[in-house]
Amino acid sequence: MRITDRRFALYLMAPAALFLAVFVAYPLFSLVADSFFEISPVLGGPREFVGLDNYVQAFTSQAFVGAGWRTLAYTLLVVTLEFALGLGMALLFTLLGRKSQTWRTVFLYPLMIAPIVAGLLWKFLMIDNFGLLGALLHQVGLLRDPNQIGWLSNPDIVLFSVAIPDIWLTTSFMCLVLFAGLQNIPGELIEAARLDGARAPAMLFKIILPLLRPVIAVALVVRGVDAARAFDSILIQTNGGPQSASETMSLLIYNTMIRFGEPGLASAMGTIYLIAMLGIAFVAVGTIWRPGKDS
Amino acid sequence: MTTAPTTQRSDLRDSRGSRPNRLGNILKPRRYQAEGLEASKRSTRALLWALLAVAMVLYGFPFLYLLLTSFKTPLDTIAVPPTILPDTWTLENYINALGRDGVLASIINSTQTAVISTILSLVLAVPAAYGITRYKTPSGRVFIMAALVTRMVPPVAIGIPLASMMSSVGLADTPIALAIAHTTISLPLSIWLMASFFEAVPQELEEAATVDGCSRLGALWRVVIPVVSGGIAVTAIFAFLASWNEFLFALLMTAIRSQTTPVVIANFQTQFGLDWGSMTALAAVYSVPVIILTLLLQRKIVAGMTLGAVKG
Repeated sequence: MRITDRRFALYLMAPAALFLAVFVAYPLFSLVADSFFEISPVLGGPREFVGLDNYVQAFTSQAFVGAGWRTLAYTLLVVTLEFALGLGMALLFTLLGRKSQTWRTVFLYPLMIAPIVAGLLWKFLMIDNFGLLGALLHQVGLLRDPNQIGWLSNPDIVLFSVAIPDIWLTTSFMCLVLFAGLQNIPGELIEAARLDGARAPAMLFKIILPLLRPVIAVALVVRGVDAARAFDSILIQTNGGPQSASETMSLLIYNTMIRFGEPGLASAMGTIYLIAMLGIAFVAVGTIWRPGKDS
Repeated sequence: MTTAPTTQRSDLRDSRGSRPNRLGNILKPRRYQAEGLEASKRSTRALLWALLAVAMVLYGFPFLYLLLTSFKTPLDTIAVPPTILPDTWTLENYINALGRDGVLASIINSTQTAVISTILSLVLAVPAAYGITRYKTPSGRVFIMAALVTRMVPPVAIGIPLASMMSSVGLADTPIALAIAHTTISLPLSIWLMASFFEAVPQELEEAATVDGCSRLGALWRVVIPVVSGGIAVTAIFAFLASWNEFLFALLMTAIRSQTTPVVIANFQTQFGLDWGSMTALAAVYSVPVIILTLLLQRKIVAGMTLGAVKG
C-alpha cells in the first residue's frame, strides 16, 4: 500500500521531533516540576512540595533581581557595541569592494574560537600586575600606573570588562550578516541617490540603514538571545565576582544549583528566565521571521 | 568580479519551483550589487585601507599574543611588565600541558563527542528538513517553529535535568550523553540550515526520478541528497563546531572519564594555580585546527553562518 505524502512527511520528521521531545521538552518539563519542590541536593534525597515558595524566594532575593538587571545590561552593552563595530566593519569592507575579500576571511577567525578560550585570553590581557592591556596603556601615557584600572577586580566596571571577549568574538558575526545584507542593496538605488547629491551621512541613515532593516532586526535578535545566555567567558574570567558584580542569570542559576545546592530554587529561577527568553523569542519570531511563509 | 561571500552557486541557486524567500534575497549569489557603494576616489581608498589595517591589527592581536605567550618560558609568561615577544622561544608549555594527566584524553573525548553529535544531528535533521520543505504540511510548519523556539532555551535550564536523565539510564559521564546534549543545540540549527538548502532544489528533479521508477525514499537518497551534499557539509561543520566549543553542558555532564578540553582548560585555573603558560598552550592547540579548517572551508562556512543567523 502506498502511503500518503502527508504521512511520509510525518515519518521523515518523527525522529527529530521525538529527539527534541525527549531531550528538550522533557527536561524542561522536569525543570518546571522541580520548581515547586524543596529538594535535597543529594541524589535521590527527599523532596517536599512547597508550591510557589521558590518563586517568592527568587523574586525577593537581591541576587536574583540583581542578576536579572545585570543580564539585561550585559546584553544591551554587548549587542550595541557589537552592532556599531560590526556595521562599521561591514561598511568598510563594502566601500573597499572585492579587493578586501582576503581580509574579510581573516576577520572571521574569532568565530571559531571557543568562548572559554576567549575568556581566558582576555583575562590574561586584563589581569592585574602582568596584564598587557594595563601595561600598554601605561606605556602610551594614558595611565599613571599599569594597575590603575582594576579591569576584573573593580565591581563598578567588571561587567564591562567581562563583556569584552564576547564583543571581540562575535563582532565578526554581526559584520558578516550586515555585509551580506549590504551586498543586496541594488546598485542602481545607490547610484540614483548619488546623482541626487546625497552625502555620506544621508546615504547611510536615509537609504542604507532603512533597506537593511530586516537584516538588522534578525541579527540583533539572534545575538541578543545568545548574549543573554552568556556563561563560559564570564565564568572563566571572574566566576561572577567581585561581589557578584558580574553574576549574570546563567551563572546565578548554575551557582544556586551546584554551589549552594538548592535545585528547587534554581529550577524556579530557571523557569522564570526561560519564560522571559521564550516571551522575547515569540515576539521576535512573530514579527521578524514568519517561517513557512515566503517573504 | 567577485560574488557575494556565499557558497557554491548550486547550493543556493534560485530554482524554478521554489519562490525566493527573504533569505534567498539576502543570500542569492548575485554579482556584487552594492557596487555603487565602493569608494572611488584614490585618496579616500588609501584612507580606508589604512583604517582597515589598524582594525585588523587591533582585532588580530589578542589571539596572536596568546600564541606568542604559549612559546614563552613559564616564568616569562607572568613577567612584570609583560613582554610581547618571547625572550627565549620554547615548547616547554606545550610539553607541560599535553603531558598532564587527562589532557590528551580530553582532546580525544572532545573529538569523539563532536563526531557523534555531528552524525546524530545530520541523521535527524536531513530527513526532517526534507519532510518540512518538500511537503509543506501544517505539521511541518509547526515543527520548524518548535525547532526555532528550542534555540531560545538557555542551556542552564535543561542541563541539570538532562544530566540526571542520563545518569538514570546509565550513560553518566560518557561521550554519548554529552553528544546528545550537544545535539539539542545543533539539531534546531541543522534543521533550519538543511531546510534552506532543500528549498533550493527543484522539485522536477525528484518528479523525474519517481517517473523513472524510484520510490520517494529512493529519490531522496539517490537524487536529492547528492544535490545538497554541499549543504550537508556546511551543516556538519556547524554541528561539529557547536560541540567542539561548548562548555556548560560539558561542565555539568562530564566528570573524569569523558571530560572535554574546554572543561580541562577551565580546571587548569583551580587545580594548578594560575599556570598561564600551559593554559595558553592548550588553548592554542585546541583552537588552531579549527581555525585552519575554517580558513580552508571559508566560503562554505560563510554561507552557513549567514543562513544560520538569518534563520535561527
